[in-house]
Amino acid sequence: MRATLLALALLLLPGAAGAEDLVAGLSQDQIQITSNYTGSDLVVFGAIEQPPDIEEDTPPGQRDVVVVVRGPAATMDVRRKDRIAGIWINNREVTLEGMPAYYYVASTRPLDKIAPPYMLARYQIGFDHVKPQSTSTRKAARAEEFRQAVVRERARAGLFSEAPDGVEFLGYSLFRVHVPVPAGAPRGQYTAEVYLFRDGVVMSAQSTPLFVDQTGLERNLFNFAHNEPVGYGLAAVLMAVLLGYLSSLLFRQQT
Amino acid sequence: MEIYLPIAEMSVHWLIILAMGGAVGFLSGMFGVGGGFLLTPLLIFYGVPSEVAVATTASHITASSMAGALAHWKRRAVDFTMAGVLLCGGLVGTSFGVWLLKLLREAGQSELVVSGGYVILLGTVGGLMLKESLEAVRATRSGNPLPSRPAQHHNWIHGLPLKMRFRQSRLYISVIPPLALGFAVGILSAIMGVGGGFILVPAMIYLLRMPTGVVMGTSFVQILCVTAATTVLQAASNYNVDILLAAVLILGGVVGAQFGVRIGAQLRGEQLRLLLAILVLAVGARLLIDLVVTPADIFSVTVEGQ
Repeated sequence: MRATLLALALLLLPGAAGAEDLVAGLSQDQIQITSNYTGSDLVVFGAIEQPPDIEEDTPPGQRDVVVVVRGPAATMDVRRKDRIAGIWINNREVTLEGMPAYYYVASTRPLDKIAPPYMLARYQIGFDHVKPQSTSTRKAARAEEFRQAVVRERARAGLFSEAPDGVEFLGYSLFRVHVPVPAGAPRGQYTAEVYLFRDGVVMSAQSTPLFVDQTGLERNLFNFAHNEPVGYGLAAVLMAVLLGYLSSLLFRQQT
Repeated sequence: MEIYLPIAEMSVHWLIILAMGGAVGFLSGMFGVGGGFLLTPLLIFYGVPSEVAVATTASHITASSMAGALAHWKRRAVDFTMAGVLLCGGLVGTSFGVWLLKLLREAGQSELVVSGGYVILLGTVGGLMLKESLEAVRATRSGNPLPSRPAQHHNWIHGLPLKMRFRQSRLYISVIPPLALGFAVGILSAIMGVGGGFILVPAMIYLLRMPTGVVMGTSFVQILCVTAATTVLQAASNYNVDILLAAVLILGGVVGAQFGVRIGAQLRGEQLRLLLAILVLAVGARLLIDLVVTPADIFSVTVEGQ
């Protein structure tokens, strides 16, 4: 839903005549996370096409490129522990719906120098502006407190990250970004968005989908556990019984 | 080599897991206990979600009690009638426990109940063992060993109805105490990931007054069946059995147990019990500290249906 809205928003951008145009692409549109995967890089690259009426010597400081990669939306139960009778106990719970399970933002400069907060909020750029679609609480302050907890937790797991100087320019118009994809990256549809800012205003933007899938033994076991839970349980028992039996055979031979 | 545990959802080094299984296997071989009550907390300390630790340990105990059950079966030291009655209670208990764990997880309290339950369990068992073994050590030092308790021929158990004959144990007692015992141990198996031998064995000897010869074998058979059932039920309703984690733990445990048995045979009984008591209390204390100390982040996040 939000992806569609965002795509619409991108279509309705001020296509001012003579504006610089943006072309971007991805190194892969499918990432397979396998068992002995320790994380890899997705490369987002692109170029700013220059219309002929802009002079070559426009200082590069005025324009900025921001790359955002969003993971699939997830429903998250966030709980706050409180000290009750000396023991830390999960107390209040807030459910956030439609939070991206993965979020990465890279830019040419720190985001607060690129654009004013309302502009960043409009495109959900930056940790302060990644918002859930809905929350189970009506109090804005509480929703914000729990949203920030998600950002912290995801950042610790390497699933949310900000790289204020992550956009690398190769020459005047060519740029590239290395997007880290850790082993715990959730599977699903991601979007890579590239924004071109000039003087704090989005001049051009592009959104490209990509898919992250988990394969290998571990994923097959996970699928087995969730699709055939009883069979999986029986397999676990069979394995345990067999290993126990084998060990008793081995043990008897040794003594 | 790092392996990714599909259910625990974490990357671990397989050697660490193997060593953990080995250490617990060693201790269980040395002390003649199942080791579930040490393995579950150890996995929790390592960062495995408590529910996954509990359910996966159940399958680990299935493997370790398999070997024990086979050995006693060969010596015909198993009272299958008693094991059957215990198992009836055990299956009801574990189903109830697995259901309870599901409710607790949905309420976000499974972690607290598992840790809190362990603090109480390890504190009580460790405390009693420490007291008993210290007395035994003191008695041996002073030269007059403790008098063995005179066997009572009748206790309150004999007043209960629904009596049944247990040939192998040469008992004619009510089925209510073994059913209740099985039920209690079944709940423990589901919620704490323990086999429950440390409760079953003393209860069979002192409460049911079974002959010591068949106690170990019967408890092994009961634990084998209950933990097997627990594994299937946990997998079916809570999706929290990590088969990869279990496999590596079992491999380590099997090897560790062999060394443990050999070392254990060279140590004196009361010293062994004293060591075990201290270990049990230390694990319980560590769990208590984790509950009391301010956590690094008081918020926790669970992603639904990932």
